[in-house]
Amino acid sequence: MALQAVCRVPVKAHTKLDLAEDETLEDLKSVSSILNDHCSLQIPRINGLENFLTDENGKEMKIHFAHGTTTLAFKYNGGVIVCADSRATGGNYIASQEVRKIIPINDYLLGTMAGGAADCTYWERVLAKQCRIYELRNRERISVAAASKLLANMVYNYKGMGLSMGVMIVGWDKRGPGLYYVDTDGTRTPGRLFSVGSGSLFAYGVLDAGYRPDLTDQEAYDLGRRAIYHATYRDAASGGIIRVFHMKESGWERITEEDCKDLHERYAAEKPETSRPSDEKYGVL
Amino acid sequence: MSILEYNGGAVIAMKGKDCVAIASDLRYGIRLHTHGTNFPKVFEMGPRLYLGLPGLLTDTQTVHERLKFRLNLFELRENRPVSPKTFGAMVSNFLYERRFGPYFVEPVVAGLDEDGKPYLNVMDLIGCETETDDFVVSGVCNEQMYGMCESLWEPDLEPADLFETIAQALINGFDRNAGTGWGAIVHVIEKDKVTTRTVKTRMD
Amino acid sequence: MSSERYSFSLTTFSPSGKLVQIEYALAAVAAGAPSVGIKATNGVVIATENKFKSILADEHSIHKVEKVTNHIGMIYSGMGPDYRVLVKRARRAAQQYQLMYGTEIPTGQLVQRLAAVMQEYTQSGGVRPFGVSLLVCGWDHGRPRLFQCDPSGAYFAWKATAMGKNFINGRTFLEKRYGDTMELDDAVHTAVLTLKESFEGQMNENNIEIGIVNESGFRRLSPAEVKDYLANIV
Repeated sequence: MALQAVCRVPVKAHTKLDLAEDETLEDLKSVSSILNDHCSLQIPRINGLENFLTDENGKEMKIHFAHGTTTLAFKYNGGVIVCADSRATGGNYIASQEVRKIIPINDYLLGTMAGGAADCTYWERVLAKQCRIYELRNRERISVAAASKLLANMVYNYKGMGLSMGVMIVGWDKRGPGLYYVDTDGTRTPGRLFSVGSGSLFAYGVLDAGYRPDLTDQEAYDLGRRAIYHATYRDAASGGIIRVFHMKESGWERITEEDCKDLHERYAAEKPETSRPSDEKYGVL
Repeated sequence: MSILEYNGGAVIAMKGKDCVAIASDLRYGIRLHTHGTNFPKVFEMGPRLYLGLPGLLTDTQTVHERLKFRLNLFELRENRPVSPKTFGAMVSNFLYERRFGPYFVEPVVAGLDEDGKPYLNVMDLIGCETETDDFVVSGVCNEQMYGMCESLWEPDLEPADLFETIAQALINGFDRNAGTGWGAIVHVIEKDKVTTRTVKTRMD
Repeated sequence: MSSERYSFSLTTFSPSGKLVQIEYALAAVAAGAPSVGIKATNGVVIATENKFKSILADEHSIHKVEKVTNHIGMIYSGMGPDYRVLVKRARRAAQQYQLMYGTEIPTGQLVQRLAAVMQEYTQSGGVRPFGVSLLVCGWDHGRPRLFQCDPSGAYFAWKATAMGKNFINGRTFLEKRYGDTMELDDAVHTAVLTLKESFEGQMNENNIEIGIVNESGFRRLSPAEVKDYLANIV
């Protein structure tokens, strides 16, 4: 009942849902397993996963998700900075330019999104539920380590079945700032600095060059923002809006959300003339 | 992934009133990696004749050079400038010569003929010509650009309006495609002058 | 192999620097039937004698005036069999151009290609030069064209010219009669008169052939049309 109150579910609606006689609900339950248990997805009845991932001709059937994204997070003396672009692609097609790839799990936890968008949103939503249940059961906030492990364990059950996620779990707990990288291969590792996605190498280049633990808050925001900006410039699958979040002792804060185009113009104006790309054209001889 | 999408790139051309415009993006990339942002895919082949070559960019360069070679020989032999229609036939024949090992380009020919009439022609990679009276698109985001053209284009646009229309159609078309963009170049061809402008676009 | 004996060019320089084979070819042309070409403001006419040795010959089955494309035609003075080889080459060159560029070949381009063929036969091994001079007339983009092409591969653009037997007299006659403002009808008339200058015997619709080209294309005049022109000659 505590969960019911927190979720502000009207008592009436709750009782209605509980009625076993409700045929519609029963029907639903029989076809959708996740209505009972968010962590038990239906798996095709095929012997062996190898058969599941290949068709009768041995051709690979695995659903390939575009990994087009740039996300990053790094710890410094002032907390953790989390930045991401906002582009969603399907192949070369740009499906959206304003995706929210930094997902709030609660006031002290953030997850990032790279890989399959559906996988990330779904499992981080389930994680949010688990974290809230933990909080209610234990009367204290879940640690970043525990939260990231919950996620890692959940997705590990589906290893090799085509889930695609590369996420960072960022938070603040009793031990201070926390940062973990979790992916669908089963990796879960703490660290000081991560970047995930197709543009991550470009972001790393900027990040590693400018990183110091004693950055001021403004310097840290700018570093994260620049790293994502340069990734959007070089990586075709990253772009749109650059979002900067700051994880502090008091919880996360949204710092800025700026369009790449504006940033490009601002950064270009800062550059000296000589360091800009030359006017020589590649195609013209 | 199609080899035609390996480098990205888009070309568009439109007819106006006694004028014709052709434009391309400026990206040079390999798959998702952007290497350069100054690679026009449209080339001047004569005073009032332009050729767009989107596709695999190594072939863009080769086809441009080889067609320029053939065109120069033609113009020396015949002692007259080539007409856009004749040039279209040249390009088409050139491509069909490689029917079983094609150049991966989908050319667009745009220009004004001897009488100053606008001419547009788009081909597939083995030289099947399509002449149109309104607009042509070629390259990786042709679906999006077709959509833009169908809604923005109207007959008998003046040069200034034609520039605005083609630039908007190109930019808003390629902004929905990851492999294109990073600047644009537009040529508006009129009887007595050609106006070339580069257009600022998103750089992501 | 016996053919190797003649794998060198038969057209070789004489010590004085002449190519006598070409001069012989020109002599063959000069001994051939006369032909005339005149450019008018609205078209071009080409005309030639077409005499037969026997009255038993069927005059209207074999022609000297030949169409190459819709807007180009040609005639010759000299050797008939050589001419037919060149007509075949001309038609092939015209179709190749059409295939390559999608437009009809300009007359000048066709003449250039024919001249190249004729030149090749002055330098290749095992062949002799062509024993013909050609008159090629055409209509390009609203303008009349008239060219002469010789066995050496040399070609000339004319307002009016004559070739073959008595060509000097023919040209002198044309120099007197030609006018820049001449219309096609007048030009046909003048061409017939020029042929008549050196014609032996009675000229009629069966022993001359006329071709005209104007904006509607090239065609050979029918015997009836030729007869009408002849009727106007007093």
